[in-house]
Parts: sequence; C-alpha cells; structure tokens
Amino acid sequence: MDFLVEPFEAGFVRDGAIAAALVGVLCGVVGCYVILRGMALMADSLAHGVLPGIAVAFALTAGAAGEEPNELAIALGALVAGLVTAFATSAIMQRSRVRPETAAAVVFVFMLALGVVLISRVQSYSVDLTSFLFGDVLGVGTGEILASAISVVAVAALVVLLYRPLLLISFDRQRAAALGLPVDRLELLLLVLVTLAVVVGFQVVGALLVLGLLMAPPAAAALLTRRLPAMMLVSAGIAAASAPIGLLLSWHLDIAAGAAIVLVAVSVFVVLLVVRPAPS
Amino acid sequence: MSADAPALRARGLTVEFGGVPALADVDLEVPRGRSVAVLGPNGAGKSTLFGAAVGLFDPSAGSVELGSSRVAFVPQHLDVDPTFPVTVADVVLMGRYGDLGWVRRPSREDRELVEEGMKALGISSLARRRFGSLSGGERQRALLAQAVAQDAEIVLLDEPLTGVDAPTQEAIRALLERWREAGRTVIVATHDLGAATRDYELVLCLNRRVVAFGPAATTCTEEVLYETFAGRIVRVGSLMVDVSEHHEIH
Repeated sequence: MDFLVEPFEAGFVRDGAIAAALVGVLCGVVGCYVILRGMALMADSLAHGVLPGIAVAFALTAGAAGEEPNELAIALGALVAGLVTAFATSAIMQRSRVRPETAAAVVFVFMLALGVVLISRVQSYSVDLTSFLFGDVLGVGTGEILASAISVVAVAALVVLLYRPLLLISFDRQRAAALGLPVDRLELLLLVLVTLAVVVGFQVVGALLVLGLLMAPPAAAALLTRRLPAMMLVSAGIAAASAPIGLLLSWHLDIAAGAAIVLVAVSVFVVLLVVRPAPS
Repeated sequence: MSADAPALRARGLTVEFGGVPALADVDLEVPRGRSVAVLGPNGAGKSTLFGAAVGLFDPSAGSVELGSSRVAFVPQHLDVDPTFPVTVADVVLMGRYGDLGWVRRPSREDRELVEEGMKALGISSLARRRFGSLSGGERQRALLAQAVAQDAEIVLLDEPLTGVDAPTQEAIRALLERWREAGRTVIVATHDLGAATRDYELVLCLNRRVVAFGPAATTCTEEVLYETFAGRIVRVGSLMVDVSEHHEIH
C-alpha cells in the first residue's frame, strides 16, 4: 500500500492532486456541453486564445529584470483574452453565414499569432511558455486551489440553474428559439463557461492538455450514460479520479505529471470504447 | 398580441442569406384555429418562413410575429448526435419547459401530458430509449409527441411526412386531424398537393413570395401551381408532377 500512499505524503503532490481533481470536475462538467454541441475546435481556439493575455500580463508584471510575474495578473490576462476570443467568435457566427468551426479557426489563428508576436517582444518569456503549454501541476499554490474550488461551485450552480435552457439549446436550437429562449446569449454563456474552465485548467495542466480533460472524460461518460445529469456526474468522476492516478504514475514512472493525468483520462475513454458499446 | 390577433402575421417580410433573398416582401395573415398547407418547391422559403416566425432568422426587412407564445415547431431535420444523452421521455418533457420554467419540477399534470403525447404517437414503449438510437420515423413521432405535450396553440410542422414510413405517416395524419378538431392553428409545409387540397382549410402557395393564399378548393389553380413551382411541373393525365423532385403533387 505504500506504493499508493507514498507520493501523497509530499505536500506539493497532495496540493497538485486536489487542484487537478477540481479542474477535472470543472472540465468534466463543462466538457459535456463541448462534446454535445460539437465545440471541440472552439475549445481548442479558447485554449490558445488566452496566449496574448498571458503575454501582456507577463510583460506588465515581470518587467525586464526577470522578476517573477504576478500569477493573478496572468490569470486575469488569460481570462480577458479568452473572453475576447469567445465574443469575437460569437460575433462572427451571428453576423455572417460562416460555419462555427471556420469562425473559431480564424479567431484561433489570429489570437495565437498575436500571442507569439507579443511573446517575441518579451525575451525572458520562453521558459514560462513551457508551463503555459504543459502546466505545472506540482507547483500549484493555495491560490490556484481556491480559484479552482470557487470555479467548480460557480459552474455547478449555473449548470443546475440553467439545466433546461442549456439542454434545450444543445439538443434542438430551433425548438429553443420557438420557446422564446435567448439562444444567442445562452450560446455565449456556454463559451464563457468553457473559457473559465480553460483559464483555471491551463494553470494546472497547461493550455494544450486542458483540452484532454474537456474532451476525454465526457466522451467516456457518453458511452456509459443515457441522461445528461448522469453523464456530467460520471464525466466529473472520471476526470477527478484521473488526477491522483496520473500523479501516482508520474511519481513512480518519472513522467510529466500533467500529461500523465490526461493520459489516464484518455485511457479510460479508449478502454470503455473497446469493452462497452453505447447504451441504447 | 391580443387574443383575436392572427395566428401568424407577416408584413413586408424579407429574409436574405448572403444578400440572396429566401423570402421577399411577404404579406400574410393566417387566421387563428385554421389548418394551412404551405406549398412550394425546394428553396421556396417554406422553412425560412417558419424559422423567421420562431425567431431563428432575423428579417432583413419587414416583420413577422406569431399570435401566441405557445408555439410548437417541428423542423424537417433534426441532426442529433446518436450518443446525445436524452431519453425519448426527456425529449417529450421538453414540450413542458415553457410552462415549467427553468427549475420547477414537473407536476402530475405535466407527466400526464407527456404520457398522453407518447400514447398519441404510439411511442410509450420507447420512453426510456435514447433518442439518438431511434429511426427517423420514431424520432419524428417523439418530436410530435413533444408538441402534443406542449399543448400548443400554434403548431408549425416542416414537411412532417417526408422520409417516414407508412405507419408513421398514418399516425401523423391522425394527429393533424386531432389538432384540427381541437381548433388549433396548424401550419404544415408540404409537397403533397393532393393532401393540401384535401386535408387543409387554407393553402399558401409560396415561391420566395406569396403566389396565392386562400381556401384550398379554389386557390390551387393550374396557373397558380405553374407560377408556384416555376415551370418545374408538368401535367401527366390527371396528375401534376414536380419534375425536379419527382414529387407527385396532384
């Protein structure tokens, strides 16, 4: 049993496991809408769209002397850039007949290119870019854990309160419009929720790997469940469980922690795909 | 709108997509409690008229409004991910969402309306099945059961008989009859001119604009049909045939 307990005797691993589990719950719930509405590229766009905000926050707070950047400023910068990405994509979709994936891709590449341009002006950023892309789950502090916990509670409350409108616009947009629901605003709200999950998640598992937690656990849960509340619970459970299991593997196999968490989540999906057909 | 307002009113309604008009300057008043067949070739704007009426498309000019907030709209196609986690009973219950609001739990009356909807369409045995696992005809029945559960005053159906099997067509016809007898406003887009003149009180001939609108028996003259279908129909004996889509329409 020491094999299971030993890694978590270290405080930084425990904190990492708690933060990653909370991010898992957040992504596991929000990711259900990403899967059901076919928003995978949109989520990818949001994950990369935060880059310019991070670069600006880094440049403003780290200064030229190589000081540590302010983490709250980084998070706020990421949130603002993510919201700009969400609003810009939504505006393009509403004001033209451009397909949603095209709108997402155009904004995605613009924000990514803008981020790279800004980073190229801040030479000392190159090292921190790695943690942006792949996270630093073993370096999280109380602030990240608290932010993750608050986000989980806020998103859970919204998902419960707006269960019916969000289910309806995901299932049948036309029916939702016929019932008088504010379809465009609800779709924008979903983008904001995905942005929130990305911003909270990228600090723990990185901008690239947060997509894994948004996609794999809901996809696995869809294979086991036939109703949305059950899908969300199972998805959140798989994503949360992936955190300690991934850290366990990371500790014993000496592999990257964030990537190990995401690999566990994806493995659950692959195993279920093989052993269990979708319920009728 | 007041209680005696028309079920659907369009004034100078124009809807454009990418600068191309799908509907142009449509003026229309559908009285309450009538059954209306909307005839026209593909691309005539039938779906656009419904979409604009329920607020899916913003008019480029003019306006369109419905005379009630209790509107059921069953689109021609509903592309649903086969793994979408809703059961048939969930989908039918969505018809009650307008009355339930965001959080109120369904009452016994709500559940009875859901049961009634499923029974009317013969899908009670499918209640716990995942919606995405149903055949096209079964899906259409579930969506119509949702409209029954909604107890809607105005029902908009976009080609409900297209691509469904004979028993489903029969169930849909029985439901339309039931709605007509209950005095609901039923507006149905269709290619079936025979049914349009036989089963509906009014016919709207549409080809991006209103070609004709009036009592079924007197509206569908041969000249009106030629104009509606833009020369894409020919007379074969006593039949009028849409040669572009191979629909027998009369």
